[in-house]
Amino acid sequence: MSVIIALAGNPNCGKTTLFNEITGSVQHVGNWPGVTVEKRDGVYRKDKEVVIMDLPGTYSLSPYSAEEIVARDYIVKEKPDAVVNIVDGTSIERNLYLTMQIAETQIPMVVAINMMDEVERKGDKIDCGKLSGLLGIPVVPIVARTGRGLKELMDAAIDVAKKGQKPNRLSVFDSELADAISSIADALGDGESEENNWKAIKLAENDEIIAGTVPSDKRREVESLVRAADKAAGGDAGARIADSRYRYIAKLVGDCVKKSGKGYEETKSDKLDKILTNRILALPIFAGIMYLLFACTFSENFLFIPELPSPGVWLAGIVEEGWAFAADKVIGAAETLGASEWAVGLVTSCLDGVGAVFGFLPLVLVLFLLMSFMEDSGYMARVAFVMDRIFRHFGLSGRSFIPMLMGFGCSVPALMASRTLESDKDRKITMMITPFMSCGAKLPIYAMFAATLFVDSSQTLIVFSVYMLGIVAAILGALLLNRFVFKSENSSFIMELPQYRIPTAKSVLIHAWEKVKGFAVKAGTVIFASTVLIWFLSGFNFGGMCGMEESFLASIGNGIKWIFAPLGFGDWRASVGVVTGWIAKENIVATFGQLFGNVSEETVEAVMAGEEALPAITEVFNRVSAYAYMAFNLLCMPCFAAVGAMKREYGSWKWTLRAIGFQMATAYFVALLINVVGNMIF
Amino acid sequence: MPLAMVMEGETRTIREFRGEGDMKRHLQDIGFIKGERVRVVGENAGGMICVVKDVKVALSRGLAHRIMVED
Repeated sequence: MSVIIALAGNPNCGKTTLFNEITGSVQHVGNWPGVTVEKRDGVYRKDKEVVIMDLPGTYSLSPYSAEEIVARDYIVKEKPDAVVNIVDGTSIERNLYLTMQIAETQIPMVVAINMMDEVERKGDKIDCGKLSGLLGIPVVPIVARTGRGLKELMDAAIDVAKKGQKPNRLSVFDSELADAISSIADALGDGESEENNWKAIKLAENDEIIAGTVPSDKRREVESLVRAADKAAGGDAGARIADSRYRYIAKLVGDCVKKSGKGYEETKSDKLDKILTNRILALPIFAGIMYLLFACTFSENFLFIPELPSPGVWLAGIVEEGWAFAADKVIGAAETLGASEWAVGLVTSCLDGVGAVFGFLPLVLVLFLLMSFMEDSGYMARVAFVMDRIFRHFGLSGRSFIPMLMGFGCSVPALMASRTLESDKDRKITMMITPFMSCGAKLPIYAMFAATLFVDSSQTLIVFSVYMLGIVAAILGALLLNRFVFKSENSSFIMELPQYRIPTAKSVLIHAWEKVKGFAVKAGTVIFASTVLIWFLSGFNFGGMCGMEESFLASIGNGIKWIFAPLGFGDWRASVGVVTGWIAKENIVATFGQLFGNVSEETVEAVMAGEEALPAITEVFNRVSAYAYMAFNLLCMPCFAAVGAMKREYGSWKWTLRAIGFQMATAYFVALLINVVGNMIF
Repeated sequence: MPLAMVMEGETRTIREFRGEGDMKRHLQDIGFIKGERVRVVGENAGGMICVVKDVKVALSRGLAHRIMVED
């Protein structure tokens, strides 16, 4: 019989490290349904019958964030066989608060006191045996980073799960509060039932989600009892309940923990914080770190040394070359075997599709190696604090800065970086606006127009203004989404700053590997399928293979060109460009090269670099419509690779399509505005 | 007085939270409860860093204005 064990604990308590240690590499990462909260499960290394479920880090079981709702629903509704509650021994009082709440659900559980090495170093002593006796829960000291105590912990957890051993019912609340809670439980039905008892506590805490589950015939009675509880507690039962829990914990800690008694003492972390969060130095240091992060991933002139590629670009180059070499061989082989033209075409497009996925992997890998280092070291928590004041004006978290900055390199890793944001809402909004940043692949489009239509004016200024347009659209988009879609009043932030720690190589590697694998598998299918589809549409018509001019895509372009007429480019070739741009934005230039005068590949390369003009496009574009076209392609749906990344991060098509809808609408509106206003002025 | 006005290096006792609902509960969950000692260890223009229950917490100034501590 298999056993399901859930890991629960505060953020930064070392839960993920523990998870990695006990499951090894056999993990599965996805999303919890409907939210962008990461879901991981794995199998215990030493017993394949034991499934480990890693719940999101939470401070309590009240529904403050998507993470907390996910964690509590899992514990209360899915009812794992046992919960392992990880407690950071260096801040045991605060961590035990969650322990009290999990114990209230009466689920079989084990407490793991983590970071025992740091506790010992501080000279504190925790009497786990005594704590265990008082709680009626096994308490195991561990050091997740080194693996100390993990065997004992898992043995205890499996034992508790098999026996179904429940925690003691602790008398946390004073008699008034306890009476009030039990009368609510009675009103819900059987007051002795664990579920009703737990619900009663939550109702007394004014939990709106639980209030919504009360059957309508009992609602009135329950509501008046809750009000009575508030009254009995002197106005706020919720505060009194929290207070009672902390009092109880204080007593527990007084009985079981011997502190070295030195009181507040400045640690190495505190000293580091004096520099890294210093009111003057914080921003320059952050800017420097961000520069390194960006440069290591995307830079062609790493550390300002001309022609020196960064690790990310270097790896990407190797992968691309290797792939091109292999693809050439395969295509060559297909040709010598006498495969028909369309079969060779199909093979080529399939290889291109897979190659597109592979080409992104080095960027994802390098960025996430660095980002997991930042995350695990504790610096990432400080980023929100340092950047919050600036980003709060836009309704975003300070951490949104990282995905948005990475967006200038490539949307794919940028979208995946949004995973480090604290709230579900911030993640969703940031993912919608991140593709507005001008990624590297969009530059060739601007170069083409700048060299062709803006020769006499300042080309640099034109290109720069498109970059700025993306930033402005992102900021306004974030404001609008906050105001009208998510309806959040963005006021205050509060977050824990964990101690700085040197991350273990293992956890950094596992994290980066998960990202790479997740992207290759989840996003890969989307990218592959759409690349092949566009290849088919652009190379075929009902008569079979043909040039792009007569293809299905050309018919589609003719069919949809009226949509773009108000934007100033109601031409089938321009429409086809938009579509081929979804494979990769720089494809627009190649498509135009083919459709406007069928120029050579060398010319296309030169046009992309802005060294040569493509005069034929002046048939369709003037300056205003060219600018509108650049704006449209900047803001509209990003390439399929980015859509794949969005799909993976949102975890649902619903939100992915909403994001695309938002991007399309923004692109259309902005391009329309440019065309209308531009034509009035010029 | 509000926590936002406490100087760096000072320790105060929390009295109450002005505001309600989710944020109040979340503050309690993190350890900001009546009677608890809170020490301010850092600040910048947008927010401050406090230690409460052996945990270092960063919070925005707006929020710190709503947490009342003893004078």
